[in-house]
Amino acid sequence: MNTEAIIDLLYKIADDQLIIGHRNSEWTGLGPILEEDIAFSSMAQDKIGQSLVLYRMLNDLGESDPDTIAFMRNADQFHCCQFVELPIGEFDFSIIRQFLFDTSEIIRFEMLSSSAYEPLALASKKFKGEIKYHIMHANIFMKQLGNATEESVKRLQDALETAMPYALGIFETSEYEDAMMDEGIFAGEATLRNKWTERIEEVISNTALKLPDIGNIEPKTGGRYGKHTAHLQPLLDEMAEVLRIDPGADW
Amino acid sequence: MKSLDPRINRLDVPEERNTDFRKDPMDQLETYEVFIQPKVDKPFQHEGIVHATDQDMAFVFAKEQYSRRGTCSGIMIIKTADVFTTAFSDAGVSIYQKIKPASDPEDQKVNYEVFHLMKRGKQHTHVGIVRATSTEDAVFQAKMILDQGKPVFNVWVAKSDNIYISEVAYRDIWDTLPEKTFREAIDYRGAEKIKKFKDEQGSQK
Repeated sequence: MNTEAIIDLLYKIADDQLIIGHRNSEWTGLGPILEEDIAFSSMAQDKIGQSLVLYRMLNDLGESDPDTIAFMRNADQFHCCQFVELPIGEFDFSIIRQFLFDTSEIIRFEMLSSSAYEPLALASKKFKGEIKYHIMHANIFMKQLGNATEESVKRLQDALETAMPYALGIFETSEYEDAMMDEGIFAGEATLRNKWTERIEEVISNTALKLPDIGNIEPKTGGRYGKHTAHLQPLLDEMAEVLRIDPGADW
Repeated sequence: MKSLDPRINRLDVPEERNTDFRKDPMDQLETYEVFIQPKVDKPFQHEGIVHATDQDMAFVFAKEQYSRRGTCSGIMIIKTADVFTTAFSDAGVSIYQKIKPASDPEDQKVNYEVFHLMKRGKQHTHVGIVRATSTEDAVFQAKMILDQGKPVFNVWVAKSDNIYISEVAYRDIWDTLPEKTFREAIDYRGAEKIKKFKDEQGSQK
């Protein structure tokens, strides 16, 4: 099996999970109401847990140990899409991002559940329940705030338009697309993007929101191969602060 | 003064100290009672409340407020306003002793869910369903059908039509819960670490 292709794919997914997890954890203590504060923080924890499973898989394929991979790389060595590294912004942006990103994620893991690379297929099945809840959460807020007041609809619409070029960057292709398809590892970013478009259209059609013209938007790509926004490095510095001060710290 | 917490800023606390300041009453979302089913064959038990806009959102919030640890196979949600509660009994006396017939045979019967509180400080637990013409009648029917003789301190009833129970298809959202032991306080081994720290400090003196 094409190990290089698998490593490339695992880094993309694992880095997405780690970074979105850390970003969303920034809502801890600041959520719009206490219940949402706890829910968002809990989901952030799920994402980081999922990244650990994937980093362990990379470790089994000869990469460094999970803590080293997660905390000791610089921004240009990260493979996350730029979408996940953007600041949490206002709650409207965070909900739109959860909706767009997690919808891509649940489809990605559905596709990977039948991957020829068995460890990834098993992990994808395992993550399904957690992400199902994350989607449930996002969709309920989309439905309610997307149909509530003039202000809530406008806020979500603005956030949707800001987010969309970055969301399309999730599907940045790699040089291994054909190889992965040939070997049954992953059916590819283009297929994922098509399925994703259908699902987000369906949810948005039940709101007062308008889906931007996706075909005419230039995706913000580059993240998969180390080209990141200025927001990633400060996040990584913060994440690794304790480890860098005291590499043997235990808590 | 501006707080780092936007929820504090939204309170519009006056600048001047000791200024009379009150929040508008009832400016929160309505409340929902949350019942957790720890395992498929166990009854639903009351865990607490959440503020939410409707039952769907109450479920989403309840899942992370009350089923973050241990095991869970389902959640039941009832709007607080839809729960009828009896008075509390005195120690050792069942509240059912004070319940009188309340039924009008002409009225139409519907299903009610019944919950018992068996010990003070514990949770209300789902004990069954009765058919009744009103909430008062539901309590009387519960007395006739569900009273096992042990003192019941307090009874809740709610129309079955007003409850939300999570679908069986959602059960996998709790699949990875048993692995999340890091959410248990014991997992931090806090006491052990404090002892180790103190020992180290002591040995340096």
